[in-house]
Amino acid sequence: MRHFVIVGVLVILVAALTYVGLNYMHLMPAEASAQSIPVDWLWNLDIDVISFLLALIIVPIAYSLVVFRRKKGDATDAEHIEGNTSLEITWTIIPLIVVLVFAYLGAYTLGEINVVDPSANEIQVKAIQWAWSFTYPEGFTSKELHLPVNKQVVLKMESGDVIHSFWVPEFRIKQDVLPGRVTDYRITPILIGNYMVRCAELCGASHSYMTAPVIVSSQADYDAWIAAQKASVASAGQTPEGRGGQLATSLGCRGCHTIDGSKLIGPSWQGLYGSQVTLSDGTTVTANDAYLIESISNPSAKIVKGFETAAPMPKFDLTDVQIQDLVAYIATLK
Amino acid sequence: MKKFFSSALWHGLLWQAIGWALGASFVTLIRVLMGLKPFATFGFTEPAWVFGGLVGALSFLGGSGVLTDWFKWAKGEETHENHQDPDGWEKFINISLDHKVIGIQYTMAALLLLVVGGIFSLIFRTELASHGLQFLSLQWYNTLMSLHGIVMIIGILLGISGVINYIVPLLIGAHDMAFPRLNAFSYWLAPPAAILLLSSMALGGFDTGWTGYPPLSVRAPVGMQMFFLGVIVAGWSSVLSALNVIATVLRMRAKGMTAFRLPIFVWAAIATSIIALTATQEIGLSFQLVMFQRLFGMGFFDPAKGGDPILFQHLFWFYSHPAVYVFILPGLGIISELLPVFVRKPLFGYRWIAMSSLGIALVGFLVWAHHMYTSGMNEYLRVPFMYSTLLVAVPTGVKFFSWVATIWRGKVTGPYPTAFLFVLGGIVVFLMGGLSGPPNATVATDLHLQDTYWIVGHFHDTLFGGYVLPFFAAIYFWFPKATGRRMNEALGRLHFWLMTPSFIVLTLLMMRIGLLGMRRRIADYDPSLGFDPYHLVMTIAAFIIALSVLIFFINFFRSITKGEPATGNVWNSRSPEWQVPSPMPAHNYEQPFEVVGEPYDYGLADSVYVKFAEKKTGGRN
Amino acid sequence: MEHLNKSEALRQGVLVFVFLAVLSALEFFVAIAIGSVTLLVTIALVKFGLVLYYYMHVYKLGATEDPDIDQHSYAYKLTTSRLGLWLFLLSDSFVFGGLAVSRFYLLGMTRPPLNQILGLGVTSVLLLSSFCMNRAEVSMEHGDRKNFTLFTSLTLALGLAFVAGVLGIEWPSAIAEGVTPSASAAGAIFFMMTGMHAFHVITGLIFLIIILRNGSRGLYSPEKHWGVEAATVYWHFIDVVWIFFYPALYLIGKIL
Repeated sequence: MRHFVIVGVLVILVAALTYVGLNYMHLMPAEASAQSIPVDWLWNLDIDVISFLLALIIVPIAYSLVVFRRKKGDATDAEHIEGNTSLEITWTIIPLIVVLVFAYLGAYTLGEINVVDPSANEIQVKAIQWAWSFTYPEGFTSKELHLPVNKQVVLKMESGDVIHSFWVPEFRIKQDVLPGRVTDYRITPILIGNYMVRCAELCGASHSYMTAPVIVSSQADYDAWIAAQKASVASAGQTPEGRGGQLATSLGCRGCHTIDGSKLIGPSWQGLYGSQVTLSDGTTVTANDAYLIESISNPSAKIVKGFETAAPMPKFDLTDVQIQDLVAYIATLK
Repeated sequence: MKKFFSSALWHGLLWQAIGWALGASFVTLIRVLMGLKPFATFGFTEPAWVFGGLVGALSFLGGSGVLTDWFKWAKGEETHENHQDPDGWEKFINISLDHKVIGIQYTMAALLLLVVGGIFSLIFRTELASHGLQFLSLQWYNTLMSLHGIVMIIGILLGISGVINYIVPLLIGAHDMAFPRLNAFSYWLAPPAAILLLSSMALGGFDTGWTGYPPLSVRAPVGMQMFFLGVIVAGWSSVLSALNVIATVLRMRAKGMTAFRLPIFVWAAIATSIIALTATQEIGLSFQLVMFQRLFGMGFFDPAKGGDPILFQHLFWFYSHPAVYVFILPGLGIISELLPVFVRKPLFGYRWIAMSSLGIALVGFLVWAHHMYTSGMNEYLRVPFMYSTLLVAVPTGVKFFSWVATIWRGKVTGPYPTAFLFVLGGIVVFLMGGLSGPPNATVATDLHLQDTYWIVGHFHDTLFGGYVLPFFAAIYFWFPKATGRRMNEALGRLHFWLMTPSFIVLTLLMMRIGLLGMRRRIADYDPSLGFDPYHLVMTIAAFIIALSVLIFFINFFRSITKGEPATGNVWNSRSPEWQVPSPMPAHNYEQPFEVVGEPYDYGLADSVYVKFAEKKTGGRN
Repeated sequence: MEHLNKSEALRQGVLVFVFLAVLSALEFFVAIAIGSVTLLVTIALVKFGLVLYYYMHVYKLGATEDPDIDQHSYAYKLTTSRLGLWLFLLSDSFVFGGLAVSRFYLLGMTRPPLNQILGLGVTSVLLLSSFCMNRAEVSMEHGDRKNFTLFTSLTLALGLAFVAGVLGIEWPSAIAEGVTPSASAAGAIFFMMTGMHAFHVITGLIFLIIILRNGSRGLYSPEKHWGVEAATVYWHFIDVVWIFFYPALYLIGKIL
């Protein structure tokens, strides 16, 4: 009996220390969405139970190994205890009740996460290898996701190629983005700040780099940003290079081609126009209109040296005018 | 060397190469005749590589000679009933029908694959030590990461077959497995499967992870197909091996060995075999469907043709979730089997532990969709799968509590034998894996945890604690039975104390950064997240683990010839295989035994488990 | 069950065949006239039960044996082999089960536009082959080598006819209807299911050739003919798969 009392006290002590320690470490990132609150509530409950169970198993094993270890000169076997049915039933029934409670709580928190605000904003999300683009109700497309704080938004997400997954760690929720089907991501940001959406489902070579900024701002700042975007879209739409720049964003070209000279999956566009390009077969060509038009409409026709093993660029369904707009845009990137 | 070049292994490899070339050339010839493009990026076209790979695998089997007896049967010829193996090491690279030789073949193949998979992980672990790309390309990172997963999985499957093959017939008093030729066949499927898998590296690799989700896997290079073929061939190995185990346990037991007098490991072997026998077919099927989608444009998973990528995930996880129970049940069985020997007490609640294995196996069939909470499958499916998944915690809990009760008041002799250390390490690490499980089961928390490093830490703990550490315990424990010598204890302890703490650090850090936003399967991470120091420590831990494995191998190979002789009952075990001298003779027990008592009656002076028949008088004896 | 005499066995085989034939006809009319999925599934299950019990004699698995039997004896090994074969069939049925699940997952209560009469035709051929297979096995059990050879050859011929029917007539006619492997998921699943089944039929034919050859050389006896039994059970298993695939592809659901 004495042993059980000591072990009992130790279990409670170790469990409490584990719990305090784990909480002190701040296991989760900031809570930036209304949905993160029920998730973290359930998570903290998990941590309670985990701390207790860890102590409940480890402490008696350690205690027994130390206290009941074989004494010098003792060659006999230990006590013949075959089992105890009521004990077995106890540690079947109690965990059963605990897991049923947890399953219930899991369903309950899921319900809280899924609460629908009928007046939620709707933003279209398009994911392709390896870029996100966001089309706002106002009719323009951006590489950034801007959200007003304390207002529910529903993202209508679809993939153009393989499966991706939309995850902002601070929002807690994650949802796969599928080809040929629209999935919903419903979120209510509650904390102003800059976050990152990170693709969480392996989607090929540049999966690691498939991120996009998520900016949660006050309603006023949000409205100002929307207005500014609309104005710049309107002015950009006047010129071929402006339209080309918008296309480069909405199609996700810049997921692979940078405009600052750095190397991603494809060659950078900076200083590309008019330059001498060395191809994989060793020949060089001038990056003139004809070359760029061919490379956009038939991406695998000529491969630039150093990009042979990169994932091939997909074919886009573009009109001739769109292609010319893109070329005009590329020509501006000196 | 001469022995190697006349071995079944060498002939198999040779024929695999020949078959591969012939198969690929055949398809290419047909393509030429049909006016199709004969060659592509990787030399042959994809159909040619696939057909060649298939013909190559079959040629291996033909060339190695493992089919010879069956061909004779088909032709109506008699075959030898008593197969004799040569005495030397060469029996391990030749066809043997002896379950002990096959068990060792499996174990060695498993160790080899685990090392290969471990080397892959060291390479990309080093790449991850700091942010940015150091020396790997994105495609190579993804290929190595994917291969690490599948090579380890197949290594584990072979290791399980190894332990089961070696020990189950001995535990139940059988002279061999029920179907010795099928047993050899199952084993000899493994080498061509491994070669197919590894050949994917030469064919552009594959960047999908071992899960191979379409549509990504439909777009990957030809290496993808080699991965699919390799898994299908290895899957058949697992299926047929499981079939053999079930038939053996049902049909080959010694007299008096009733269900509840079976050694507990046999229960685990049965539970694991039930899953492997049935569910494995679904991963084979799912991969086959993707293969055909790639080859013939069949749109099973192509939304443009009315297909659905989610269907793949259902088929895939119907096996691949129960598969983790295939991996861990034998490991947990080893823990339950060895604990009583070392604590000198009966196994606490024998029947409950036996039933919990079956319980885990059966509930395990109903939980697969918990991998798909975020996948976009029908939302209403998430809640029932949450309930079924959490239910697995109940039989798993029974095992833990019973182990604690078994250890309680047990008398362990210090210093602890290495095998016991690994058993304890297995319990602790598996406990960490188990406790990090329920947050993934409840949907709300899993929406955050899915596809993060938290998950990576979680399943590495379950597999390491549930399989790898018990597997080492089994090797240290049964090594004397196979060789008549012991492994060195000092080196063994060093192996344990280097490996287990490093591993715990490694996975705890994985979980830590996963919660904070580290995704799984990424070649590079955002430096602004501040994960660099964590990754550096994890990389160092990984290299310490590698060092410990190196020490294990030195100990292992040294002990085969130079280990301390141990022909008797070194562990003072009650189990039948320790009642006869080591190493075990070719046809197992010279005298059959009868089971007359309970298997784990430690502490009961006059209790007997097995009684050997009297030696027959007359004759040479 | 074990000890039917020759004429009882013949009567049983014929009766089961008649039942199966009537049920198949009934199934066809249910599909055309009523379209009740419940009824179609019920009929398929009844057919499955009949074949499983009478033709595949699954009850032999539960045969009791002498507890002191020598584990090296033929009788003991026979029971073990039987268990092994059934475990294999259990495993294999997960392949077909997975395909059936995929078919309903992708197509739901619709089906590809296939020629139902043609489907009924190949089904009848396979059913008839199962009857012949049963006759062949029963003949061997009673030491009637002449009939064994006759009926095994008949089974072989019908099996060949089935493969030829599916690959040579059914597939081209489906392609003519626009059901091609690459056109749609429906076409893909049709070719996958029939293809996987045909692959099993072809392996079954190989086993038939082996037992025909070994049987004609007198290697089997009424007491020792495990090869014949194994090939028989495997052949009926192929029939069982078709009992489910046929309504799943040809009868259940509305045309796409």
